[in-house]
Amino acid sequence: MSTFFSDWYYLSIRNIKQIWRPWLALVPSIFMPIFFFLVNSASLSAFSKVPGFPDVSYQDFIAPVAMFTAIFFSAGNAGIELVQDIANGYFKKLIIMPINRLAILMAKLTEVAVQATLQGFIVLVLLLATGVHFRTGFLGILLIFGMLVLFAMAWSCISLIAALRTQNARLVQSMFIIAFPFLYITTSQAPLALLPPTFRVLAQYNPITYIIEGVRALVLDGWSSPAIWQGLLTAVILFVVMASFTLASFRKALK
Amino acid sequence: MIEVRDLRKTYPGGAEAVRGVSFDVAEGEFFGFLGPNGAGKSTTINMLVNLVKRTSGSISIDGLSLDEHQNEIYGRVGFAMQEVGLDETATAREMLELHGRLYHMPPAKIQSQIAKLLKLVELEKVADKYTSTYSGGMRRRFDLALSLIHEPKLLFLDEPTQGLDPHARQLIWGHLKELNAAGMTIFLTTHFMEEAELLCDRLAIMDKGQIVAEGTVPALLERYQAKTLEEVFLSTTGSHLADEAVNNNASDPYARARA
Repeated sequence: MSTFFSDWYYLSIRNIKQIWRPWLALVPSIFMPIFFFLVNSASLSAFSKVPGFPDVSYQDFIAPVAMFTAIFFSAGNAGIELVQDIANGYFKKLIIMPINRLAILMAKLTEVAVQATLQGFIVLVLLLATGVHFRTGFLGILLIFGMLVLFAMAWSCISLIAALRTQNARLVQSMFIIAFPFLYITTSQAPLALLPPTFRVLAQYNPITYIIEGVRALVLDGWSSPAIWQGLLTAVILFVVMASFTLASFRKALK
Repeated sequence: MIEVRDLRKTYPGGAEAVRGVSFDVAEGEFFGFLGPNGAGKSTTINMLVNLVKRTSGSISIDGLSLDEHQNEIYGRVGFAMQEVGLDETATAREMLELHGRLYHMPPAKIQSQIAKLLKLVELEKVADKYTSTYSGGMRRRFDLALSLIHEPKLLFLDEPTQGLDPHARQLIWGHLKELNAAGMTIFLTTHFMEEAELLCDRLAIMDKGQIVAEGTVPALLERYQAKTLEEVFLSTTGSHLADEAVNNNASDPYARARA
């Protein structure tokens, strides 16, 4: 344990540098959420006049989704980098060093947290610039970042598990596609009450719905909404479950 | 420095890669494992650092049991593997610095080692370029430097000159001789006769998972009444190196998983 924190720190620094190397790789994962936000908030603005829609602009309604999308598009990178390390032999180099091996995994999650924070921050600046008002203020924004970072780490575990179990770069790269059903079968585009019945049931079973609603409550409703704590709890549970599965895969890969 | 007793590896499915291998390597010795592809050399060297789990047998390095003192042993050994795994998004200097940190070396020592090693492998001028821009020979040389950052007592080399042109090979041989002359114990696997003959104090010839001959080059020549090491090799393994099928990934668990 004595070297765990220094191992974690130095491996994290290495991983964080990979985020912008090459920097062009960052462009799509920043551009796409901004693109979706601008296009959807303009083209679907009339949707906010539908009876049953909350008394807010459509732009404010989908603001949390923009931050979410930024994370969906980048959380898989950790798995892709890990599978590259495994395929080219660098992972073996790491595991025959006198380091705490758990630090390798923790450093990957740290990289995800840093990237989620950076990308979330860029989208936040855009949201503020376009007039989105966060009713819970600065503390609310901090909590939003807390939830999103937890979710980003949980979501990245899918690609990390795929990397550890298959060592197949193509498979790990294609894992980001599963983000779409998880993102769209939620209340991301419309409130639960306005969803078709089947869609509504599926959305209620989708844990991401609760995180989106939690973030949305912090933007639109204020601190009294129970959705905030439901969202936070869901993010924590998702992270613990996914991190446990990843740890199990990691240990198995080291055997 | 190395004590190996009755080392065995049987892969799931029953393939026996290593079948009861025992040997010792003395401190300061340059010891070579010579054998055709698929003989079990890489599996053996990978078992010596627990990259491949052995089925049975015991391994002791620098007086420490690998089972009980794995991390301590990792601090004392360097390993340049057959596959040159580098972080392509980092520069050589960054990688050396990271590895120094991960070996928990003092910062001043890391910097002096970086300067020394970059000079040794003649990569000072490209130290701040990304490793992805390096040629095959540069990558091999850098990998050697990387395995030496913490001044290991024992260096494992798995086919260190595979795929290199004669000039790059000579350059690496020169570095290895210097390191050994400075007191470093070196364990090398190779299927190049010339490499084994030129570098190694003592050799073990491995075939089909077993050591079939062991000794110094003169002793082996005398024992098998041969004029060249190749003749010794032919009479002990019954095969010619050039005829061997490529099976370099036999010990790679990920390669097995992919297959």
